[in-house]
Amino acid sequence: MDDTIKLSVINMTKLYGNGDGVKNVDLDVHTGELVTLLGPSGCGKTTILRTIGGFIDLTDGDITIDGKSIITLPPEKRPTSMVFQSYNLWPHMTVHDNLEFGLKLRKIPKETREQKIAEGLRLVKMSGFEKKYPGQMSGGQQQRIAIARSLILEPEVLLLDEPFSALDAKIRMEMREELRKIQTDLNITVIFVTHDQEEAMMLSDRIVVMSKGHIEQQGTPRQIYDNPVSRFVAGFIGEMNFLDDGDGKQIAVRPEHIAVTKGTGGILDGTVRTVMMLGHYLEMTLDTEKGLVKVYITSDQANQFEKGDHVTLNFDHTYSYNKE
Amino acid sequence: MKQTSKTNWKTTLFIIGALTPAMLVSLGLVVYPMINQIIRSFKDPKEGTFTFDNYVYLFTNKISSRAIWYTVEISVLTVLLTISISYLLAMYLRFSNSKISKSIGNMYLLPRFIPSLVAVYAMKQIISDSGFLNRVSLLFDENSALYNFKPGMLYNTKGILFMNCWFNIPFATMIIVAALAGISESVVESAQDVGAGKALIFFKIILPLSYKDVLIAATFVFMSNISSFTTPYLIGASQRKMLGVYLREQFGRGKYEIAAATSVIIFILCSISAVVYLYTNMKEQAWEEN
Repeated sequence: MDDTIKLSVINMTKLYGNGDGVKNVDLDVHTGELVTLLGPSGCGKTTILRTIGGFIDLTDGDITIDGKSIITLPPEKRPTSMVFQSYNLWPHMTVHDNLEFGLKLRKIPKETREQKIAEGLRLVKMSGFEKKYPGQMSGGQQQRIAIARSLILEPEVLLLDEPFSALDAKIRMEMREELRKIQTDLNITVIFVTHDQEEAMMLSDRIVVMSKGHIEQQGTPRQIYDNPVSRFVAGFIGEMNFLDDGDGKQIAVRPEHIAVTKGTGGILDGTVRTVMMLGHYLEMTLDTEKGLVKVYITSDQANQFEKGDHVTLNFDHTYSYNKE
Repeated sequence: MKQTSKTNWKTTLFIIGALTPAMLVSLGLVVYPMINQIIRSFKDPKEGTFTFDNYVYLFTNKISSRAIWYTVEISVLTVLLTISISYLLAMYLRFSNSKISKSIGNMYLLPRFIPSLVAVYAMKQIISDSGFLNRVSLLFDENSALYNFKPGMLYNTKGILFMNCWFNIPFATMIIVAALAGISESVVESAQDVGAGKALIFFKIILPLSYKDVLIAATFVFMSNISSFTTPYLIGASQRKMLGVYLREQFGRGKYEIAAATSVIIFILCSISAVVYLYTNMKEQAWEEN
């Protein structure tokens, strides 16, 4: 990643007939940066991605790559390449032909084409699959090929529209790691759309959290996790307990920022409701006068608590938001 | 062991018993008349002896041989016209989101629900040289090129083709629309994304993914037109007949052997497209095998 700006979305507005859409979005993406657009469905993240790819016209604003406006170009003329959620590959073509199609259109000589195809397959660990048809491969394998197909065209910006959301949890995890590795190795600029905050945290240099057609917050995963600027971001990123504080205010506290001890005298008292094993730590839910509270405890601590125990809570770090 | 074979024997008997009525019905109503017709087509009408004369007559007589080729010609032209128009229409319905496209999408099957006899008579009212179109044209100024417009579409090939399109386009469009609906948006968009223009997307993506259904639609259209009767009878020419009309005429004149031979020829022509249908349906493309 360096400081030069590869892609700029400038005051972009896209409104659909029903009034939905995105309004006044500004976004700069640096060369070699992986930016994630994160938000619930309908927040406008895919609209922004598809507008960059040229599949949707914008109502107002501009999009530039290397300083040049691309909004008048059709998708086939844009220096971007997109990987879709699923059913990307052309089912009647082999893996080889799927990869070759775009290279042929660029009039790249046969020998170079073959080199690039081999290199692309090697990158996504799919060498040897040249003769397979998409229908003969698993979802994960198909998405690898789709990514390779985009990569070998060497786009200025790679656009990924929830590419892993249809895959099994384990494969999804592997694919994220591999994508991140390829992206840093090749220093490519990537915009990744997802509704999965965990995925966004794992992958991104920077996360852009979106809600109802506008950007709520952008920053590194750390910045967003540690300092969510709004009630929405606080609720969407990571686990968070919201406790009413009167006057339309809410106190927000992350489960890992709560200390639990037996007895009374803390900020809030409660009783243990459930203790759930989540791997190297446990999640305990407590009934309090302000509702259910979730806390994380270590397995050592877990031995001290049982269902029905009376406990008291102290908070290390809290946030305050207006109630929504 | 004995017990089992006894049960099996009973089961077999039961199956045979249960299937017999259906077998008898199809034997009696389908196979027997067919065989009967085939035998009859090889019979001399007077002597009742075996002969090829009926077929020789059909292929040498001016009127009947003309009818055979005319029928093939009309059917092939109908297939070509119907499929090209239906393909364009189906593409429009599939890839356009406009209101016009949606309302056409809701309406295009309507002609399927109108009885053919009613449709042909109704169309006659419109396209005949003194019909609706002509009446409307009489409203124009006498010097206008549109004044007294005569479509000239009745009792000739044009009229039959027009009517055939009217009947077959909805059906063919329905099949092609279903095929195109199976091509996902991202398959088309990713082709666009890597740099393919509209023509290339059509020839490299859409056509290969839908040609099989197009062929199936074509065989059905061909088959139904080979033996069509209503349209050519009501608006066809009197000097050039299609086989359906010719068959009825021979039957009416009591020339049952010639009529039988005619129906065998119709049957053979239909079989050709049935073979094409079976072949395309059974031939799996490499990419369809899992």
